[in-house]
Amino acid sequence: MSTKTQDPVIGDGSLHVGDRVVYPNQGICRITGVELKQIAGQNWEVVTLSREEDGATVMVPKAKVMGIGLRKVADVAAIDRVFDELANPNTDPQLDWKVRHRENADRMTGGGLFGTVEVLKGLHALSRVRPLPPKERELYDNARHLLVGEIAAAMNIPLHVAEDNLDYALWPPEGMTRKGRPLPPATLGPPSPARASGLDDDLGFEDEELGGAAEAAPAAAAPATAEEAEDAEEEEEKPAPAPAAKKAAPEKEKPKPAHRPQAGSAKKAKPSHAPARKAAPARPAAKKPAAKHPARKAAPAKRPAAKVKGKAKGKR
Amino acid sequence: MIRIVTLSEFPPDVVDFVSRRLHAAYGMGSELEGEGEIPSSALDDEQSAYDAVKALEEMDDNVALYADDKILYLTSEPLTAPEGPMGRGPVDGYAQYGAGKAIATSHGLADKGVPLEVGLAKRAAHYVGHLWDLHHCYDPRCAMHPGWSPGFAAYPEVALCLFCREKSERKIKLGST
Repeated sequence: MSTKTQDPVIGDGSLHVGDRVVYPNQGICRITGVELKQIAGQNWEVVTLSREEDGATVMVPKAKVMGIGLRKVADVAAIDRVFDELANPNTDPQLDWKVRHRENADRMTGGGLFGTVEVLKGLHALSRVRPLPPKERELYDNARHLLVGEIAAAMNIPLHVAEDNLDYALWPPEGMTRKGRPLPPATLGPPSPARASGLDDDLGFEDEELGGAAEAAPAAAAPATAEEAEDAEEEEEKPAPAPAAKKAAPEKEKPKPAHRPQAGSAKKAKPSHAPARKAAPARPAAKKPAAKHPARKAAPAKRPAAKVKGKAKGKR
Repeated sequence: MIRIVTLSEFPPDVVDFVSRRLHAAYGMGSELEGEGEIPSSALDDEQSAYDAVKALEEMDDNVALYADDKILYLTSEPLTAPEGPMGRGPVDGYAQYGAGKAIATSHGLADKGVPLEVGLAKRAAHYVGHLWDLHHCYDPRCAMHPGWSPGFAAYPEVALCLFCREKSERKIKLGST
């Protein structure tokens, strides 16, 4: 049961029905109204929002509107400062994944415009050194998506123009300037090791095979979670300059099944992909989740404890 | 289905190559739908290039589109786009994000030293990717990497990186058909 309220006061009074707002981690929404809803026998006053991207309805308790970081779409001056920040090439990537993960999570949940810019810029700087792990690749894409949406909404330009402009700042083309200052042209970054396709296949069936194998490779090489894999990389990999990374051709894929390999094949594949990697320290047995299936009980003893944990995690 | 409409003359083998590359990249049917004409009202103020946004909006064609169909226009004319916060930069196409129409040009490919069919196919895959809500990718070998970056000429193969490929597959699966 719900009733609509006329001309309500939302948040600190700065938001009104019909305003375009930014919902942290969701993107641009429009406030459609304030309703009184009865949920689990209690009356709740909720602010209803419509996400512009897909029309999804989001309901936020009115008392929590300011707490979750709902804010108006940035103005043109703020977007101008965003581009100043993006065009500033001096960004050192945070190499400690724990610190990076915590900082980026805080920035994204905070929902601030400049927080999103920092996430994008930090991950972009890191991607110039080495390819991002899957979770951070997704975060990079989310941050980009939110920023492009807000730039387009604030400047009233198409999304495509907003993204091109964002990348004119991040990957400046030849002769690009920002407020009269020439920007250094983009250089070639390191390619991702896992990829698909060549030129000689016409229908992409080779793509599929390569894609499957390439997809299997990181899964096989991953010791456990993406964070642990990253941690291991942090210990051993030093950031290599782009040309060196380009020269280091990815290993030739060995014949692998097209589907994602099971734990057994992952174990076999590991030495070929990461021969120099240190063995993960064994974790106390008490931390391991008890295996339910009797046949699987024997397997964990053969492989490092970290792997067992990761597998169990994945199954949850 | 990705429907290709040529707005300039291209050799049949080039269009065929583009079509096959699109099919390989997205796993969707791709075919040449016919020929069209770029609207003269889309010429910019200096009459030197076509405004890509206007050209797509004002395109007059009789292509029958079904749900989830994407239409890709290929031209050899220079394109431009509205000025943004960074001013004007290189424009080799335009796509309506998450919608149905995109345009890509072969203009400027000769300067990059990339064969016409490869360069055009790579641009076509890039703009069709935007139709599936894909964003630019940092991987220089991915078709979604910005076209002005050195990666475009350095890695001439037409393919998506794993992340972009998986994302496009998810989007295609979620399509209404």
